[in-house]
Amino acid sequence: MIESFTLASDLSGYLPISLIVLMAIAFGIGNVVISQMLGPRRAGAVKGQSYESGMNAVGTARKRFNVRFYLIAMVFLVFDIEIIFLYPWATTFPNLAPQSDESLLWLLRILFFLFTTVVAYVYGFRKGVFKFD
Amino acid sequence: MSGRLAFLYPEIALFVATCVVMVLGLSRTLKARKASAWVAGLGLVAAGVLAMASTPRMGQASCPISGFVYHDGLTPAMGQVVLAEMVPYVKVMIAGIGLLLLLTMAGTVDREDEARIAAGQAVFDPLRSNRAEFYAFVLFSLTGLMLTASADDLIWLFLALELTSLPTYIMVAISTARNRSREAAVKYFFLGALGAAIFLYGFALMYGGTGHTNLNAIAQHFREHGVSTLSMAGVLLAVFGLCFKIAAVPMHFYTPDVYEGAAPQVSGFLAFVPKTAGFVALLLIVGAVGWEYAGHSAGVTSLFAGDGMEPVKHAAGGRQLPELLRLTLWVIAALTMTVGNVLALLQSSVKRVLAYSSIAHSGYMLVGLIAGPVGSTFTTNGVSAILFYLAAYGVMNTGAFAVLAALERGRDAEGHVGEAESFDDLRGLCASRPMLGWVLVVCSLSLLGLPPLLGFFGKLPLFSVGIAAGEIPLVIVLGLNSAIAAYYYLRLAFTPLLDAKDEGSAAIQAAPFKGRAVAAALSAAGVLVLSLAGGWLMTKAAHAGAYYPSAPVKAESAPISDEPAPLPNDVHE
Amino acid sequence: MLLAALILIPLLFGVLIAFAPDGRARTLAGLGTTLPLLLGAYVATTFDWTTGERMQLGPMEPAAWMKPLGITLSLGVDSVALLLVLLTLLLGPICVAASATAITTRVRTYYAWLLVLQAAMTGVFCARDLIVFYICFEFTLIPMFVLISLWGSTNRKKAAIKFFLFTFTGSVIALAGLVYVAWYATTTSGGKFAGWTFDIGVLESAARTMSAKQQAFVLLALMAGFAVKVPLFPVHTWLPLAHTEAPTAGSVILAGVLLKLGTYALYRFVLPFVPLAVVEYAPLIALLSIVGILYGGLVCWVQTDVKKLVAYSSVAHLGFCILGMFALNNTGLTGSILYMINHGLSTGALFLLIGMVYERHHTRSMKELGGLAKRMPVWATFMVFFVMASVGLPGLNGFVSEFLCLLGAFQASSAWGSGVWHSLGVQKGATPGDLGPWFAAVAGTGMIVAAMYLLIMVGRVVWGKLVLPHGHGADNHGHGHDVPAADSHATESTGGLPPDLTKREILTLLPLAALCLALGLYPKPVLMALQGPVSRTVSMYDEMLRNPRPGPAVEKSAAAERGAP
Repeated sequence: MIESFTLASDLSGYLPISLIVLMAIAFGIGNVVISQMLGPRRAGAVKGQSYESGMNAVGTARKRFNVRFYLIAMVFLVFDIEIIFLYPWATTFPNLAPQSDESLLWLLRILFFLFTTVVAYVYGFRKGVFKFD
Repeated sequence: MSGRLAFLYPEIALFVATCVVMVLGLSRTLKARKASAWVAGLGLVAAGVLAMASTPRMGQASCPISGFVYHDGLTPAMGQVVLAEMVPYVKVMIAGIGLLLLLTMAGTVDREDEARIAAGQAVFDPLRSNRAEFYAFVLFSLTGLMLTASADDLIWLFLALELTSLPTYIMVAISTARNRSREAAVKYFFLGALGAAIFLYGFALMYGGTGHTNLNAIAQHFREHGVSTLSMAGVLLAVFGLCFKIAAVPMHFYTPDVYEGAAPQVSGFLAFVPKTAGFVALLLIVGAVGWEYAGHSAGVTSLFAGDGMEPVKHAAGGRQLPELLRLTLWVIAALTMTVGNVLALLQSSVKRVLAYSSIAHSGYMLVGLIAGPVGSTFTTNGVSAILFYLAAYGVMNTGAFAVLAALERGRDAEGHVGEAESFDDLRGLCASRPMLGWVLVVCSLSLLGLPPLLGFFGKLPLFSVGIAAGEIPLVIVLGLNSAIAAYYYLRLAFTPLLDAKDEGSAAIQAAPFKGRAVAAALSAAGVLVLSLAGGWLMTKAAHAGAYYPSAPVKAESAPISDEPAPLPNDVHE
Repeated sequence: MLLAALILIPLLFGVLIAFAPDGRARTLAGLGTTLPLLLGAYVATTFDWTTGERMQLGPMEPAAWMKPLGITLSLGVDSVALLLVLLTLLLGPICVAASATAITTRVRTYYAWLLVLQAAMTGVFCARDLIVFYICFEFTLIPMFVLISLWGSTNRKKAAIKFFLFTFTGSVIALAGLVYVAWYATTTSGGKFAGWTFDIGVLESAARTMSAKQQAFVLLALMAGFAVKVPLFPVHTWLPLAHTEAPTAGSVILAGVLLKLGTYALYRFVLPFVPLAVVEYAPLIALLSIVGILYGGLVCWVQTDVKKLVAYSSVAHLGFCILGMFALNNTGLTGSILYMINHGLSTGALFLLIGMVYERHHTRSMKELGGLAKRMPVWATFMVFFVMASVGLPGLNGFVSEFLCLLGAFQASSAWGSGVWHSLGVQKGATPGDLGPWFAAVAGTGMIVAAMYLLIMVGRVVWGKLVLPHGHGADNHGHGHDVPAADSHATESTGGLPPDLTKREILTLLPLAALCLALGLYPKPVLMALQGPVSRTVSMYDEMLRNPRPGPAVEKSAAAERGAP
């Protein structure tokens, strides 16, 4: 028969976290309240500007970008993620015993991963991501 | 380590096929583009064969589980153990029904563009073409589904579930050119994200409660220390979140709108793939909790106490889920069946009817989940019952949706091709298009569970496991719901057969894609063949449902079970 | 193999008809029903009637089918089942013949479904495996649904749906009960889930060991399914509608065989599976059947639609059948089984006769029909004959079975065998059961009611002033829109048929009439044939009540104490 744990013993490890959460909430609320109390309130034309430094805003912020920017961003992600995976792999690989089965497996794994990246690249190429005309 | 990789051969095959499809689909020559569907099919066949041939099984002399130990010495390094036998069955089933679904997908995307290119009015523009992506999404989703079945870790499980779902959101959006599809996709995506958030939160709490993400370790922890309140909260949240995937109350709201908005073939995909993923994940989570808790009680079952109703006991003591989990699933199951069936009665669109019926079928299968492996035979093992029902449901439901996909109406004012949607569109189908009409008759009667069709043999084990587990009120609810369902399934079956075609439906014609009609015919043939000679599939399901209640401790030899024989006696022929 | 052939021949012909040209459909259907009838006659000669309680004629080795579910394709009949099979086979060609002129649209479809229905019904009586039984039992719904909703009268859609939903709902719950029994049987075999079987014989012996409480629940589930089919009083509402709307052959099959599926299932499953519960609740069920008898009779009294009247009379008649069955003695059970056959013959014939009038005059309303004897003397003769059979005129078949059912109910009392009866030499305990003279007396008034409504109907329709419907206006009551009106001279029009019966129609009625007469004058062979299975069932009850099973659960059972000497 299996009995349940009690709630108290179960959650005791969460005390520090909950303290931190409480502090975070208190900090946020406190800042808002304090700035409400202490901050000076002066309204005016300059106050309403986007840039209080005096720079005049040009056009609307809701501007459409060319869709190619998104495609480029996606391609960037492909290579970005590749680096994220390659780096830890590269730091670990030298620690493996040379010419062992395990190191071969690690090599195959990263090759497979690079293969997927190549596919993504070919796909992007075919799709015309790199065409700028 | 290569043994561990053997689990993933089917997924790797599918993934490689996906890569080829993605590149081929963007080819400038039409032949190469058309080949992408064939490559996808080949990938599925290869995955199915690999799943059958290479998946490590429990109880083999060279049991891969016995050889590997994690650093902390706690868990075997490979695969989840509790329901280990399920993996190859589920994967082969996915490959088989995936092929049917793939056939229904013929011509879903790029129809207008390809027509224009063929007519010489346009040149091929890879940026506008969706074929590569569409077939790749189908394969990605199926890969995710297979990965769900292989999962032995909560993080893996989460990623696999997401890989299953993410492509489907886009598939819904691009399946038709109408805004309705996009609306459906957005709705589906946001509710899907909500569901994913909920079960991810649940997974996190399970990790918090047990200190493990490995399912074997979690299973072992639960069996040694019981399910703590925190873990129970995690399990319940995971169940609620997965309710989205299986379209169960209280996460079912999206189902009719999404199924209605998507093209019928994509709706058919949604009815099988995420549902299977959800049920496999539920089996993994609930299986980790286990069915051997005491506290058998509640309802009419207590009436039988001491009347020869003594349950067969596992070593741990009881033979049911933890009471809270059992009650939650009980309520979900009863509500899901009832809501699905009752609301289906009120619909006029065939796709909405099928959507609500899909909800109801999830409710039926939950009975098997609640009962669990009471015994080890096909008729007393809830896991086997679910696995068999999933296969049966996949075949019959794909048939019904394939018929809808194979029909279409003339173009509307905006130039979009219309779908056969209302019951009126189906009138007299058996006379005008006998093949499609009879497929619909067979598939809907089977979905109704009318003997001697496949649906009945799917429901029968659900009845028997429910009774064996003492969940008699739930079985009665199941029975009554089958009867409610009779009303709308009869309508679906007999509108094509009995009603005369009226003038308004003159515009209904066959879609110019053979694959869809072939898929419909194959589904109906599958239903009939399995109805007459489905015994072998039941035997497979009985094997696949084998349950190894206690998690392995160290690198000991399998089987890891309290029962003397891990495999049921009567499924050995 | 003979039994399998009885099922497969109509099925094959059904498929054949579906692909045959329309013109050949009827010939093929005739062949597909006559061949099994001839084969059935041969089967009846090979059957050993002296040991009627034994399951016979099945294949030696039952073939496993869907092995993990424990289903076996095993067939076999005892004398009760065989008699009902013969009734089914007999009604087959009669239905085909009766449809000759009535069915003019989608002829192929009609006969194909009719033959499939025939196969399924035969399968129900031949099955020795519970799931095979259930499959056939449920599959009868589809052809019947199609027959009603395609060739029925005005309200056919509603009738078909109601028929399907009522019976389907009930039988799904019955399935839960049956599966429970199967599960119980596996647990009794040594506490392990050894083998899972649906063999009726195995389940029968296992089910009896259930406790009284379990048996009560199983009884409830089974009654939910089978009582709807019979139909017993509170769940009979689908029947009049279905009967009225069905085409003639559909009504004949519905009354002749489909209702018997319910009573047969009660005989085959309820009585042997859950004896403790049956003994305890027999008075309640008997009460419901008596309510059915009286209520059905009284409703008949106020009917103006002849077909509806006969439909409601079925409710009353089946009430007698159930009353006799739950008397739980030799007399009652024999009468009950005989009643199944007799009701099939006489009520089937009545529906045929009504169909014949309907074909000629397109009405079934008593207000529009009268004095038909003057115009259709042959029809009138048959009508009066079968009404008399149905009322229970001594000398005709209805009397024998009705009398036996009432006598059984009368004798089924613990008072029987004491007092004045004792002095007449009656042994106490020879007739277990909990009904008694009061039940018989109240049910007996049902016979009087039956005489009243049927004779009133005959008086109006057959005798008296000649009345024929005037015109075919839509305002006419009981008018079927799907039957093409022949011409405007309604009084003279008989739908292209001669005023009186044709030779074909007489030939369809003659065998039924002959059997009614034979079973009325000399029922002994059938009674002898029924002796085996009846005494097998009843002796089980005698045994159980004399020697109550040890065990706490049983001792508490009030029924067991009551029955103990």
